[in-house]
Amino acid sequence: MNTQQNTVSENNFEQCIKCTVCTVYCPVAAVNPDYPGPKQAGPDGERLRLKRPDFFDAALKYCMNCKRCEVACPSNVRIGDIIQAARIKYGPQRNTSPRNFVLANTDLVGTLATPFAPIVNTAVSLKPVRFMMDKVMGIDHRRIFPKYAHGTFTAWYRKHAAAAQEAFPRQVSYFHGCYVNYNNPQLGKDLIRIMNALGYGVRLLDKEKCCGVALISNGLYKQARRQAKTNLASIRTAVNDRKLDVITTSSTCTFTLRDEYPHLLKLRNEDVRDHIELATRYLYRLLQKNRDQLKFKDTTPLRVAYHTPCHMEKMGWAYYSIELLRMIPGVEVIVLDSQCCGIAGTYGFKKENYHTSQAVGEGLFRQIEASGADLVATDCETCKWQIEMSTSKRCEHPLSILASRLA
Amino acid sequence: MNKTYDVIIIGGGATGAGIARDCSLRGIKALLLERSDIATGATGRNHGLLHSGARYAVTDRESAEECIRENMILRRIAAHCVEETDGLFITLPEDGLEYQARFVEACRAAGIRADILDPDLARRLEPAANPALIGAVRVPDGAVDPFRLTASNILDARAHGAEIRTYVEVRELLREQDRIVGVRAYDHRTHSEENLYARVVVNAGGIWGHGIAAKAGIVVNMLPAKGALLIFGHRVNRMVLNRCRKPADADILVPGDTISLIGTTSSKIPFDQIDNMVITPDEVDILLREGEKLSPQLATTRILRAYAGVRPLVASDDDPSGRTVSRGIVLLDHASRDGMEGFITITGGKLMTYRLMAEWATDLICKKIGNSEKCRTAEIPLPGSTEKREEVEKKISRKPLTQRRSAISRHGDLATRIDSGDSLKNSLVCECEEVSIGEVEYAMEHLSVNNLVDLRRRTRIGMGTCQGELCACRAAGLMGRRDAVCARKAKADLVSFLNERWKGMQPIAWGDTLRESEYTTWIYEGVCGLSDDKNTAQ
Amino acid sequence: MKFDTVIIGGGLAGMVCGIRLTEAGKRCAIVSQGQSALHFSSGSFDLLSKLPDGTDIEDPLAGIAALGRTNPEHPYAVMGAKRCEKYALEAPELLRAAGIPVSGDCRRNHCRITPMGKARATWLTIDGYLTAEAPERLPFRKVCIANVEGFLDFYPEFIAEEFRKSGIECTFASINLPDLEQIRRNPSEMRSANIARVFDHEQNLEALAAQIRDAAATCDALILPAIIGLNRNDSLEVLRAKLPTPLYLLPTLPPSIPGIRAQQALQHRFRALGGEYFLGDSVLRAEYEGGRVKRIFTANHGNIPFEADSFVLASGSFFSRGLVATPDRIVEPVFEADTVHTPDRSQWYTLRFFGRQNYQAFGVCTDSSLHVIRKGEAIGNLYGAGAGLAGFHPVQEGCGAGVSLLSALYVADEILNSK
Repeated sequence: MNTQQNTVSENNFEQCIKCTVCTVYCPVAAVNPDYPGPKQAGPDGERLRLKRPDFFDAALKYCMNCKRCEVACPSNVRIGDIIQAARIKYGPQRNTSPRNFVLANTDLVGTLATPFAPIVNTAVSLKPVRFMMDKVMGIDHRRIFPKYAHGTFTAWYRKHAAAAQEAFPRQVSYFHGCYVNYNNPQLGKDLIRIMNALGYGVRLLDKEKCCGVALISNGLYKQARRQAKTNLASIRTAVNDRKLDVITTSSTCTFTLRDEYPHLLKLRNEDVRDHIELATRYLYRLLQKNRDQLKFKDTTPLRVAYHTPCHMEKMGWAYYSIELLRMIPGVEVIVLDSQCCGIAGTYGFKKENYHTSQAVGEGLFRQIEASGADLVATDCETCKWQIEMSTSKRCEHPLSILASRLA
Repeated sequence: MNKTYDVIIIGGGATGAGIARDCSLRGIKALLLERSDIATGATGRNHGLLHSGARYAVTDRESAEECIRENMILRRIAAHCVEETDGLFITLPEDGLEYQARFVEACRAAGIRADILDPDLARRLEPAANPALIGAVRVPDGAVDPFRLTASNILDARAHGAEIRTYVEVRELLREQDRIVGVRAYDHRTHSEENLYARVVVNAGGIWGHGIAAKAGIVVNMLPAKGALLIFGHRVNRMVLNRCRKPADADILVPGDTISLIGTTSSKIPFDQIDNMVITPDEVDILLREGEKLSPQLATTRILRAYAGVRPLVASDDDPSGRTVSRGIVLLDHASRDGMEGFITITGGKLMTYRLMAEWATDLICKKIGNSEKCRTAEIPLPGSTEKREEVEKKISRKPLTQRRSAISRHGDLATRIDSGDSLKNSLVCECEEVSIGEVEYAMEHLSVNNLVDLRRRTRIGMGTCQGELCACRAAGLMGRRDAVCARKAKADLVSFLNERWKGMQPIAWGDTLRESEYTTWIYEGVCGLSDDKNTAQ
Repeated sequence: MKFDTVIIGGGLAGMVCGIRLTEAGKRCAIVSQGQSALHFSSGSFDLLSKLPDGTDIEDPLAGIAALGRTNPEHPYAVMGAKRCEKYALEAPELLRAAGIPVSGDCRRNHCRITPMGKARATWLTIDGYLTAEAPERLPFRKVCIANVEGFLDFYPEFIAEEFRKSGIECTFASINLPDLEQIRRNPSEMRSANIARVFDHEQNLEALAAQIRDAAATCDALILPAIIGLNRNDSLEVLRAKLPTPLYLLPTLPPSIPGIRAQQALQHRFRALGGEYFLGDSVLRAEYEGGRVKRIFTANHGNIPFEADSFVLASGSFFSRGLVATPDRIVEPVFEADTVHTPDRSQWYTLRFFGRQNYQAFGVCTDSSLHVIRKGEAIGNLYGAGAGLAGFHPVQEGCGAGVSLLSALYVADEILNSK
């Protein structure tokens, strides 16, 4: 008997039965006619590219890699992965522009910027500087840059926190990511405060590099792979040698470490994947066992609108962040319809994508304005920037909201 | 009203089309009659393999030499129908390497380049090949698209004055004493009969040629041999894959356009079954079992459909028992063979040698009607193959990239005739194969398309993974636009198109193919409310 | 995660079952493998249009009663005529409460008109879509059929060809706008949903009205494909207010705007009632205790399982992969439930595409309470609902939506009454 007797297609793109549901939910195809749409760029295009590699269409760069097509697909086709993998396999291998290099190297740029944060922050907010960045670099002048912190999270941690963490009976490892390190160390501090309150000490990984999501989307695959290997080695040490779970506060870092590494960078991680999780999910589990472990002080009423970032939608984990918010006394949670905000990491920073980016987010911005919420909560830093830039509301991480109300 | 021609060609396969072209290039007034659409018989129902001849080198030196000669000619004159992939003859552990030396020697003797490759190099060149291979020989095999090839011959024949009539069936051969003087033909579209006269009638009916000859009371001893094939959803292999052993079932895997094909089985069938090909589960099993040995990947690749063709094997004239068959070209002058003037039969052969068969037949026609022109079909490129791909690309740069490249691979330089003036013309009808409204309109206007199945042969509409689920209705909509009669016809046509697609899917309808079928049922029977009751079928 | 009921499948059956249970105060989760088949809906819901022998049905409830005598394996027969009637009366209320405005009578079928102009018997149709008491009794004598230029998923000529058979005079109108030109730049995305997005903008809707107003004035009525109202409810009213003659919508080929709207309305309703909806997740395995499902594990949630008192299998048929066909058997992949099918593949099909395909009646084995049967034993807290059930031909008998709606409500009642 041949093996076809019991297998269905292993070539995932062949499971596509052309139902066109993905095209209904693609935020880019809805606003940018230059993008061929997920079905064409993904499964249809893959078949043509297998015929001849020159069927690769440069317009695939318009894909934001939000993976909403995959969530919608009734056939379980990994449409977003197919598109990104095609960019890696068939797309331009060199000639990354200086702009993309700067945007992609969040790590390097952050390291350079944080010591001079006040100067850098002022400079990038100045009109002439933004005008220059627009003209020379192709970074849209309307885009507001996230502020850099004066001093990194890791520097603070080593100086002020590391020693105390050792004392806790239980431990977790923390993958802080670039955002916490260079832009918002407070979120890392908030996490430590919460974990400590629950009796957990927070440790850093031996060596942490940027997860590489921005490198992947800007075509710097080799560098992404190098950094991913470093991260996986550190995670393995934490998980396998120290028996520590690794938690993160960024939905995109989590998704990249768990799913993009094996799917796009072809780095196997199944031995540690289950031990990498979002902090809100980790807390959800801890609190399921004992809800009263956290003591709250501030219980003033607060309406929080939760926005589900795309990669959170893909992981299906918004539930945990929402449940966590619901546990906070006084907090009323409004769950916004899950829609892409349009920023997609570095995508929205590029001049050529500015219009698409804002048009994609329009629906979400309207929802937020109409929600009557005091505050927006989300697990993704770039969504936060986009929402704060494009709406009248402040946007915070669920853990920062939680920490701010702790006793 | 009776029309007179120099020659009437019966059969619109590659051979018939080739004869029409050859005749018209030599100034002979030709009429081609085909009872269905072009390339519907064995021409369109084989591997689409551009044989190097290697497969026949050991067993049939003459065929091998014909193949490699024609192979080189087709690369030149029909570049847009050919994919120069090269082929590998792989030796698996169970085959043993003994055959390889014999094979290479025979290839070289026949003038076929055959390079023995290191197994590692072979595995790198063709990652889809069974990695267990212990030997590999590289030969100049390739892929050839039979529909394009036939259509292109037809186009050129017509351009040089030939008359081509599809859906016209020969009912009788008109006979005056010991001479065939014409045919009585029935037009399936107008439902009318007429007499057509010519100095020579050529029987190029493939396996159906048996019945055509019988109309003149002549026996051509043919043996219908059914060969089943499977089409896989995408291009699995880059190069043609063969087993390096004595030719057997299911040992050729050919990459063609967006798909790969495995075949064939071989079984003798009775004549009353030649219009009724049904693929059995056993045939599917053999194809998969053997196919997986060539390329293990096939085990996890979606199968799009199964189909079968009938080879016209001809029993040798000097062996009336029919046991000795030839795969070579058989040209019968019924004047000398049966005492019947004005009638010749060309059969046997294979798609690869269609041009040579046409040349032989035309040479005989010339002799009969006193024409002294030389054959030029080996030199003059076919329409579509007169310009380089890159040049054509430049001319139609307005078309979106994937559409542009698809159109060029289907039509060669004729792709420039497709209207791509505005976004409307570039809208896609078939998304799997990137067929635009412009291309559909071009095919309907210039490529004698009568129905959706014809359109599929010209454009690959409905040949993609969805097998027409998304595009059949769109194409029918376009065909039905002109007036109410067209609308009624197009709707009925849509039903028969879906039936035709289902016929090929049904033998392999499990997994995603069954999902696709269920979905197609929801759309056409559910949402659209179509059915094949009398009302719909007009 | 702990719920009262976890429903596998977020299509019509799963959603309706979840809505009914949450309405009754239960804590429910729906786990769905992707968007559902509602995305290809015609905008109508069938109850029963034909008996298995091909007899046309005028009164669906009478037909259901007849099925009980002739086809005991049919889900309607399993549920019984009495309870079918109860749910057939309740279902439209539930849909309307969710914001899907449907009209129709379970005692008398009406006709919906297809994108190819065919009249087909149905039970409920979303308001605004063209219906008729009978094929030859359309509400106009002269009609203008409008279409967007270059939109290939709708067939004015085919519709006209059918209408003319009843002596109706048909004219055509073509719609074009700068914003439509814009989306046409993308050769593969000229679809109903993309067009509808254009008409969600006020100024484009105005322009549409302006373009068809003149054509409408010369006719009794105007027909438009379902390309309006993707993200707003008032599009049809706005257009109707600006036109001199009645405007009717007809469905298009997928994606279906009325279907997407219906799916989203059900989702909103379910979540507004407190239901949790997990989209894009696959159930991988289940754990059992004492002949009951204890918990299920999914791809996304890994080591955090879904625990519940009861589970509903509403994962659909082949399309939604609630059923998977291998060359020699039909598998239900989540629970490995027993399935109704013939082992010989040649018995699964007929050669005619539009013939009665046996595979379409394959499905999950259930008992009289629609408990799912696994290894010959009914599982006490696992119920089957919707397209994955066995014993019916959803399209040929015109009962797909009806079986989903009625079995969902039936199962919800069984769960609510089980303690």
